[in-house]
Amino acid sequence: MTTLEVRDLVKDFRIRAGLRSSRLRAVDHVSFTLHPGRTVALVGESGSGKSTIARMISRLERPTGGEIVATGPDGRRVGDRAYRDHVQMVFQDPFASLNPFHSIEHHIARPLQLHHKSKGRVDTRRQVEELLERVNLTPPEDFAPRRPHELSGGQRQRVAIARALAPGAQVVIADEPVSMLDVSIRLGVLNLLARLQREDDLAVLYITHDLATARHFSDDILVLYRGRVVERGPADEVILNPQHSYTRLLASAAPNPEKRGRSLAELPGAIDEQDLARSYDHTTGSWVSFENARPIAVAAANPAGGDRTQV
Amino acid sequence: MRYYARKLGFYAAALWAALTLNFFIPRMMPGNPVDTLLAKFQQRGGSVSPETRRAYELLLGTNSGEPLWDQYFSYLGNLARGDLGVSVSVYPATVSQVLSQSMMWTIMLVGIATVLSFVIGVGLGALVGWRRGSWLDSVIPATTVLAAVPYFWLALIFVLIFSTTLNWFPLNGGYDVSLATGWNWEFISSTIEHGFLPALTIVVSSVGGWLLGMRNMMVSTGSEDYILTARAKGLRDRRILTRYAARNAVLPSLAGFAISLGFVVSGSVITEQVFSYPGIGMKLLQSVENNDYALMQGIFLVITLAVLGANLIVDLLYGFIDPRTRVRN
Amino acid sequence: MTQTSPLAETPDAATAKPVRRRGGFRAMLPTWSARLGVGLLLVIGIALFGVLGPMLVGDPDAISSIGMTEPSGDYLLGTTQTGQDVLAQLAHSTRGSLQIGLLVGVLATVLSAFFGIIGAYTGGFLDEAFSLFSNVMLVIPGLPLVIVIAGFVPAEDRGLSTIILVLAITGWAASARVLHAQTLSLRNRDYVAAARVAGEKRWRIVTVEILPNLLPLLASQFVFAIIAAIISEASLSFLGLGANGQHTLGTMLYYAQNGWALQLEAWWWFVPPGLLIALFGCGLSLINFSIDEIINPKLRVDARTAKAKAGGVAKEARAAATAVSPAPDQPDRELVLTVEGLNVVYQTEKPVHAVKDVSITLARGEILGLAGESGCGKTTLAYAINRLHRPPAEVSSGTVTFHDRGGPDIDLLNLGDEELRAFRWSKLSMVFQGAMNSLNPVISIHEQLDDVLTTHKPDMGKAERRARCAEVLRLVGVDPRRLDSFPHELSGGMRQRVMIAMAMLLDPQVMIMDEPTTALDVVVQRGILREIIRLRDELGFAVVFITHDLPLLLELSDRIAVMKAGEIVEYAPSGQIYERPSHPYTRQLLASFPSLTGERGAFVRAGGTAANDVNEGAAR
Repeated sequence: MTTLEVRDLVKDFRIRAGLRSSRLRAVDHVSFTLHPGRTVALVGESGSGKSTIARMISRLERPTGGEIVATGPDGRRVGDRAYRDHVQMVFQDPFASLNPFHSIEHHIARPLQLHHKSKGRVDTRRQVEELLERVNLTPPEDFAPRRPHELSGGQRQRVAIARALAPGAQVVIADEPVSMLDVSIRLGVLNLLARLQREDDLAVLYITHDLATARHFSDDILVLYRGRVVERGPADEVILNPQHSYTRLLASAAPNPEKRGRSLAELPGAIDEQDLARSYDHTTGSWVSFENARPIAVAAANPAGGDRTQV
Repeated sequence: MRYYARKLGFYAAALWAALTLNFFIPRMMPGNPVDTLLAKFQQRGGSVSPETRRAYELLLGTNSGEPLWDQYFSYLGNLARGDLGVSVSVYPATVSQVLSQSMMWTIMLVGIATVLSFVIGVGLGALVGWRRGSWLDSVIPATTVLAAVPYFWLALIFVLIFSTTLNWFPLNGGYDVSLATGWNWEFISSTIEHGFLPALTIVVSSVGGWLLGMRNMMVSTGSEDYILTARAKGLRDRRILTRYAARNAVLPSLAGFAISLGFVVSGSVITEQVFSYPGIGMKLLQSVENNDYALMQGIFLVITLAVLGANLIVDLLYGFIDPRTRVRN
Repeated sequence: MTQTSPLAETPDAATAKPVRRRGGFRAMLPTWSARLGVGLLLVIGIALFGVLGPMLVGDPDAISSIGMTEPSGDYLLGTTQTGQDVLAQLAHSTRGSLQIGLLVGVLATVLSAFFGIIGAYTGGFLDEAFSLFSNVMLVIPGLPLVIVIAGFVPAEDRGLSTIILVLAITGWAASARVLHAQTLSLRNRDYVAAARVAGEKRWRIVTVEILPNLLPLLASQFVFAIIAAIISEASLSFLGLGANGQHTLGTMLYYAQNGWALQLEAWWWFVPPGLLIALFGCGLSLINFSIDEIINPKLRVDARTAKAKAGGVAKEARAAATAVSPAPDQPDRELVLTVEGLNVVYQTEKPVHAVKDVSITLARGEILGLAGESGCGKTTLAYAINRLHRPPAEVSSGTVTFHDRGGPDIDLLNLGDEELRAFRWSKLSMVFQGAMNSLNPVISIHEQLDDVLTTHKPDMGKAERRARCAEVLRLVGVDPRRLDSFPHELSGGMRQRVMIAMAMLLDPQVMIMDEPTTALDVVVQRGILREIIRLRDELGFAVVFITHDLPLLLELSDRIAVMKAGEIVEYAPSGQIYERPSHPYTRQLLASFPSLTGERGAFVRAGGTAANDVNEGAAR
C-alpha cells in the first residue's frame, strides 16, 4: 500500500524568444496526497498544468521546486530505483501510447521483465494472459499476439491499463484516460479502472477536464487554474457547492441536459477579480490567499467572449 | 526578424566552415604541394619571390614550423583582401582574374537552367499531383529514369544526337571563337546557340527531382482540411490549385532547395567538361589536371560562396512565403 | 474524435469485427504493385549481371587486333578502340560500380543514422551541434569538394577505400536531416514516454521502440544513397579522378570519351554503361516509391479511387431523382432542406455502406442535432449533402433537395459541376471541426474571407468587400483589426470564430457544423455556442449541428437525429429524446453522460460498495 505525497510542486518552462528567455510557471505550488483505495481528481482546462503534474509524478519531467514522495507499505520512503515499481501512468491517447511495431504481448511483458515480476518465458506469458484477463480482454491468447492497430480504442486503453499494472504499481496516474474514446465505452473503461482499484487498493490520480466524471469517479477534487489549485475538497462538495468563481464558471459552461431550456445566450459567468489571488478549501471551510500571486489580467482570465471586453 | 537572424548566422557559420575546410584539406594530404607548384611556376618563367612563396605557403601549408594559428589568420587575412594567389596554369593571371572571366559563364548557364528546371518541375509536379489518377501519372516512371541518368552521359547522348548526327547545335565551346566578344546580337545569339545543349542537359536531368517531390507534396496536401474547406467555399478549381494546394506544397521543395542545388552544381561541373564550356567547372578540372592548387582552391571557394548565396536567397524567399517562420519560437 | 475526413471514418466502422491485418515487420513490406515488380526486376537483373557476369565473360583487358568493331556474333557488344570486348568490360564495370555503391550506401546511411537519430533523441546541445554540422555539410557542394580532395591526392594513392570514404563523407548529410526530423517526431510520441515510465533504458528505447519505426525511412535513404554513390563515382571516374585501377561504369565512359567514341559514333561503347546506371537507378527509385507509400500512406493510390470523381453520384441515383415531394410531417414547418432515402457507399474492395436510407428534414431557422459516435456515418452524411464526399465514397441512391428562399427547389444530386460550385457557400456553408486545419496556414484571414466574395460576388468593389469581411468578424466577436493576421497568430477559439464568420459571409440559408467546438475548452465552447444561437436568432439561418456530445445537443437543438452504423435510429424533438428516448442506443448514449448535479447512475466510485460491473461488460 503505497501513499504518494506531492509537496509544493513547482514547474517553470523556459520560453526562448530570440536571445531573451522568459519563464512560464506551468505548475505553481501544488500539494496533495494520494491514499491507497482513494481517487483524487485534478480538474482543469488545457494549459492549467494538470498534464505537467502527471508527467512530473511519472518522472518524465523534473520539477523546478517541491518534492514528490512515495511511501511504501513499510512506512519508508520509496527510493529512486524502486519508484517505478510503485508509480505508473495511463496515457490519454491509446492510439499514440502503444508502439505500432510491437505486439500487445510485448507491451505488457516488458514491464514484467523490467521490474522482475516474472521468471522465465513461460511465467511471463502466463502473467501477461492473467493481466489481459483482468482488463477483460478475453480470450487473452487471442489478444496477446495482435498489433495495436488491430484493436479498437477502448481495447487499446485496456492494454494501457494492464501495462500500468504489470510492475505491480500501487499508484496509478490516469491522464484523461477516456477523453479520446467513444462516449459509449468511456463508462466501461472508468468502471474497469474502479474495479481494479478496489481489487488492488490502488491510489489513483484521475486527471480530466470533465467535471461530471470527476465528481462520480473520485473522492476528492482539485480544481486547477493556470497552474494553481483554486478549489479543493470532497467531490460532491466541490461540484454541488462550488465556492470559487472559476469552479462556478466551469460548472455553468458544462453541457447539462438537466438545465435544458435555459437560455444559451446568457453569459456563463466570469471569474471574480479577487478570486484570482485565492483558493477555497472545503475541508477547512476557508479561503487561502496565494502568496506572491502574480496578477492575471481579468480580460485574459475570461476567454469566453473572444476579443470583446466582457460586460 | 528572428528567422532572418538565424539564417544569416547559419550561413556565416557555413562560410567559415568552408574557408576552414579549404585551409586544412591541402595540409592533411600527403606530399608537398607548395614545392610542386613552385617548380611548375619556375618552368613557366615566373620568378619565385619570397612573397609568392609565402602566399602559396599560407594557402597550402608549410614546413617552416610557423604555428598553425598564425598561418590560419594570415590565410583569412589574404582572403579578406581578395588575394587568392597566382594561377600557374594560366600564368601570369591571378586566380581572381581567372575566376572573374569564367564565373559569368557558369552563373548564366547554371542559373538559367536551375530556374527553368525548378519552374517546369514544380509546375508539372503540381499538375500531376492534383490530377492524381489521370493519364498524367504515367509521367512518373519516365521522370524516375531521367532522374537516375548521369548528367555527363545524357550530355554525351545529346551531343551524339543533336550535334554529331543532326548538326543542329555546335559540338562544344561557349561561343563562336571567330567572333569578338561584346554585347552585340551576333555574339549573344552565338552564346545562346552554344549554351542550349548544356542547359538542356541540366534541365532534363534535374527536372525529375523537382517534379516528384512536388507531386508527392501535392498528394499529401490534397487531403488537408483547408482544401476541403476551399471546395466547400465553392472556389474555382484553378484557385484551389494555386492558392491553397500548390502554395503549401511548394514549401518543402523550397526548404529542400539546398540539397537539390548541390546536385545541380555538381552535375553542371561535369556537363561543362563534356561541352568544353568555358565556365568555372571546366577551369576546376583543368586546374586539377595541372596541379594548379591555388586555382583549384579559389574555384572551390567561389563555388561554395555561390551555392551559399543561392541558398540564402531561397531561405529569405521562404521566410517571405511562409508567414509562420517569421514568428516561430 | 479528432478525425474529420469522411474517409477516416470507415476503418473504425470496420473494426467492429476486428480483421487481422499485417503487423510488425510484415507491415513494413511494401504492397505489391507493377512499379515494384519492374523495379525489383531491374535491380535484381543488373545485380545478377554484375555478380555472375564477370565469371562468364573473358578478360576485359585482353587486347585483340580488331578495334572498334560493331556488335557481332563474336563480340556481342562490339569492341573498343584497342579491341577489348565491351561486354566483358561492362560485366566487370557493373560489378565495380555496384560494389562501390553498396559500400558507400552502407557507410553513408550509418553516418546519417548516427548524426540524425542520436542527435534528435538526445536533444539539447548535442542536437544543436549535430544539426549545425549536417546542415553545413549539406550546403557545401559535394562534387567540387570531392574533386578538390581527389586533386590533392596523387593518382597512385587514390585507392578504392579513399574514394569510398570521400564519397561517404560528402554524401550523408541530406538523409541525416530527414532522419533527424522523423526521429524528433517519434521521440515525442506517447509510446516512447510510456516506455520511459515502464523503466526502459535509453539505448533500448532507441533500438527497440524507435528504430523499428524508422526502418522504412532508413531503407529509402539507403536506396537513395546507393543511387547517389553510383552516380557520383561514375562522375569522378569519368573525369579521370576515380579509384586507381578499378573497373567501373564511370571509367568505361572515361575511356570511351577519350577514345573518340562519340566522334566515331561508336554507340555500343558509351551507350550501355550509361544505360545500365540509369536503369539501375530507375529500378531503385521505383522500389523507393513503394517504400514511400509505407512512410506516407496518403501517397497510396487505389486504382478505383483515382478514377472516381469527388462528389460522385451513381447514375441510378441521378435517374431516380425526378419528382421530389417533400412530405412535411408538420404543415407549419417551412422546410429548407429535405434528404430522402440517402445512401452512401464506400466503393472499396468490400463496399462499406456508410449511410443507410437516411431521411431528414430541416426547417428554416431550425437547429438540427446529428448525434453519433466516430464511424457512425454522421460526417459522411454531412459531406454527401453538399457533395463534398471524396472517392471511394459515392452516393448510391436518394435525393437531397434544397428549398431555395424565393426560388425553385434545387436538386443537389443532379447539379452540374459549375452550378454546384456556385451553390456551395452562397446557400449552404460549412464549419469544420479542426479550425487550425481548415484555414490555409500561409495566407491571411482577410485573403481567405475575400476569396469567397471575389468568387461568388464578382461585382463587389474592393472597399465593399473589405467592409463586409470586417462586418462578419465583428458579428462573431473578433476585432476586425485581426483581418490581416495569419491563422497561427490566433487562438483556437478565435480561429473557430473566424470560420463561423466565413460561413456567414454570403448569408447562407443553411450552415452545417461538424464538431465545431469539440477541440475547445468548455468555457470557450460555451462562448461560441452563444454566438451561434444569437446569430441564428438575428439572421434566421438553419443549422445542422454534428457532434458526439448528446448533452450539448439536448441544450442546443430543436430536433435531434441519433445515428448508429449509418442509420438514423431515432429522430425526434430534443425534449422527447431526453424525456422519452425510444431506442435502446439513445438510452445507452444518454447513460454514458453522467449528470453533473444528479444521481450517480451507472457510475461506481472506487470507495463505494456496489459492485456494479454490469455496465463495464455491456459497454465493451
